[in-house]
Amino acid sequence: MSKKKELVSKIGLRLDGRRADELRRVRCKMGVFSQPDGSAYIEQGLTKVLAAVYGPHQVRGNRSKAQHDSAIVNCQFSMAVFSTSERKKRPRGDRKSSEMSIHLRQALLAAIKVELYPWSQIDIYVEVLHADGGVYPACVNAATLALIDAGIPLKEYVCACSASLANNDIPMVDISHQEEMLGGPTLTIAALPMSEKIVLMEMSQRFHIDHLPKVMAKALKGCKDIKVILDEAVRSHVEDVGCSTGWSNTSQKIKV
Amino acid sequence: MALCEAEKTFILHSVEENFRIDGRQRGDYRPMELETNIVAPSFGSARLRLANTDVLVSVKLEIDSPTLEQPKLGKIEFFVDCSANATPDFEGRGGDNLATEISNCLSSAYKSSTAFDAGKLCILKGSKCWKLYVDILLLECGGNLYDAVSLAVKAALWDTRIPLVKSVVVDGNKVDMEVSDELFDCERLDVTGAPIMVTVCKIGDQCIVDPTTAEEHCSGGSVVVAVSKSNFSTILQTGGGSLHPMTLLESLKLGQTVAQRLDSTLINTLKQINDNSTDVGFLK
Amino acid sequence: MSNKIHIGIASDRVNPSVALNQRVPKIYTPGEVITEQNELMRGHGTYEEDGCLKSSVAGLKEEVNKLISIKPLKSRYNGEIGDVVVGRITEVQQRRWKVETNSRLDSVLLLSSVNLPGGELRRRSAEDEHMMRKYLQEGDLISAEVQNVFTDGSLSLHTRSLKYGKLSQGVLIKVFPALIKRSKTRFHNLSVGASVILGNNGFIWICPTVNTEEESVGGFIQNLEYIVPIEEREIIARIRNCILALAQSKMMLFDTSILFAFEESKKYAVAELLLPEAMVDVALLTQQRLTLLENQ
Repeated sequence: MSKKKELVSKIGLRLDGRRADELRRVRCKMGVFSQPDGSAYIEQGLTKVLAAVYGPHQVRGNRSKAQHDSAIVNCQFSMAVFSTSERKKRPRGDRKSSEMSIHLRQALLAAIKVELYPWSQIDIYVEVLHADGGVYPACVNAATLALIDAGIPLKEYVCACSASLANNDIPMVDISHQEEMLGGPTLTIAALPMSEKIVLMEMSQRFHIDHLPKVMAKALKGCKDIKVILDEAVRSHVEDVGCSTGWSNTSQKIKV
Repeated sequence: MALCEAEKTFILHSVEENFRIDGRQRGDYRPMELETNIVAPSFGSARLRLANTDVLVSVKLEIDSPTLEQPKLGKIEFFVDCSANATPDFEGRGGDNLATEISNCLSSAYKSSTAFDAGKLCILKGSKCWKLYVDILLLECGGNLYDAVSLAVKAALWDTRIPLVKSVVVDGNKVDMEVSDELFDCERLDVTGAPIMVTVCKIGDQCIVDPTTAEEHCSGGSVVVAVSKSNFSTILQTGGGSLHPMTLLESLKLGQTVAQRLDSTLINTLKQINDNSTDVGFLK
Repeated sequence: MSNKIHIGIASDRVNPSVALNQRVPKIYTPGEVITEQNELMRGHGTYEEDGCLKSSVAGLKEEVNKLISIKPLKSRYNGEIGDVVVGRITEVQQRRWKVETNSRLDSVLLLSSVNLPGGELRRRSAEDEHMMRKYLQEGDLISAEVQNVFTDGSLSLHTRSLKYGKLSQGVLIKVFPALIKRSKTRFHNLSVGASVILGNNGFIWICPTVNTEEESVGGFIQNLEYIVPIEEREIIARIRNCILALAQSKMMLFDTSILFAFEESKKYAVAELLLPEAMVDVALLTQQRLTLLENQ
């Protein structure tokens, strides 16, 4: 295994200059489009994702799908054909993206309070513009922001993050594409960071069971860090909109 | 979105009076916004917003071999993807028909050698050429898709830089070539002739350009013209309805003048964009 | 002809925010604990977990007696009895119409909840059932009042008043419902010469000023021959663009804000109000005038 490159240097820096427990830069914005009920854009490092939420609305098409006690959640994952360095043949419909859609739905279902919306449907669409590692986590995070933008009740934020093991020993967080290619196994988890519940865990390649706890702990820590960043973005967005509307239609104003 | 008769009547009369529901005249365009170099893993890219219509275009390059019939020409291929972000109707394969229609229209518009010189993309006659993949992603629909797409495509091609080929060695049947690794060793594509498409929409007895979604619903037929410099490169009648030959000729004329104005505005804007401007993307 | 084409550059984009510098109330985000007491009642946007009342959306707290709710800034329309809405007919069913009102479920308008031509107390016969499509068909726009909210959250509407009914010529715009300021009147005959219906559901209808005395008999009449004069068209288009400018800058919509925006927009031609710079300018000037008004 001499080919394997050291992913963390002796002074503790990764290939892109981050420390082992450092996330890539996260930039995000809510409400990027006007037609959907909610939308968001997120950048994690170079990975860029757009998410749009439509609903809750009346179930479209086959009405017998409607459920009397909860809303249907419908997710679609799609990747622009130009998002990877090698051009993709098609944006969706392949096995990988169907799997992504299912995983996305699974993570979001854990947070959305579907029981509030009987007979309704919520559509969540994510579009990857640039894939540079950690595509799934970025999609989950973008979808969470879009759901909050749409005013859809959530138990709490649902965040996702990846983690891996460098040099067979050091756990590191938020794996970039380069590290994915060079390094070993990658663990991705989606979690409810406030209650520390894991809602989805996915692992590729082999992991020694002894290493699992610390990598998992790292990924969970990453989810919590992301939650802090998202929460800040949501607050500043609410603040900005609220200051424009003059906080009307709220009790703050009515009481005066 | 269906409109009721009364709304349609209001729009119909507004076109008749040459004062459309947003205050524009029949030949007016809505303001647009352009950004180039927005997708990192591409050789060129652009994003164009026309009111609510949002189009992202990327250009990727690959080395390919020319076809037997046209050994001296490179290749250009268009692919349109209607993202479900734009409307839930596009989910799954819902947007495929529209996508095919637009991409076919683009390929026929770029086919003519005066509109786009594919000969420049040829590296070695009969064996090596560049293949341009022009990928279009529709992010939001607010009417007038063809025009927006063609503008964004032209801007993305303008932004495209093709790496220089340093040397080509032919050894029997094997062709080896060396592409420069230098970041700045590349040349721009010549896109001055690249066609601009204009949709001319017939409402009542009048023709308008740049219809909103509501106006598109009232249309009794429309023509998409692709104009390269001052020549037509494609004419396509879309959206059902039938047109009188006289109306058709009139709309072609209108389309041509508008396309030329659009073209010169676009080139002016592209010249103003400097390379070091900060990325805006979806963040602002 | 002023057919100038405008293509802006993204890096020159103006920021549409017209946020005022003012005290920011406490903002709650999903999962945040509102209070640990549990004698309070939980309203919309909240839920109970581990004995705590938590927020499920991002927004501000509202307290009415012991009922606590968190109101998100943006969401689908949550109808309340007495609200005035503008909606579009999506389906004609037996004895009822389905209406799209930007709610999470389609609303219903029962045949028994409309005034049929020929007087309020007319009986509804089997013939009326067959004639339903003649009164209102798919695509038609109506103004109506929320009569009832069903347990699944869907709304039942009625048009049993002369001011409600089918809408004739005009323009519909959609904004998110939270931008519509709550007030008693939803129908505004603006002094500038047009009527505006600010539906609580975020659907706004702008039309030529209606003469209430004559025109609304039963509310199913549309005059499609009538050509709205150009002066009125200009006013309607200007109001439309002003409302869109205010909405883009997330400003509250009510008669005063629309009037102010209308006045401030006078320096621009109507079509110029589509330019982002002009839109933000109008919103800013309106915001300033509203602040002045408030401080007086």
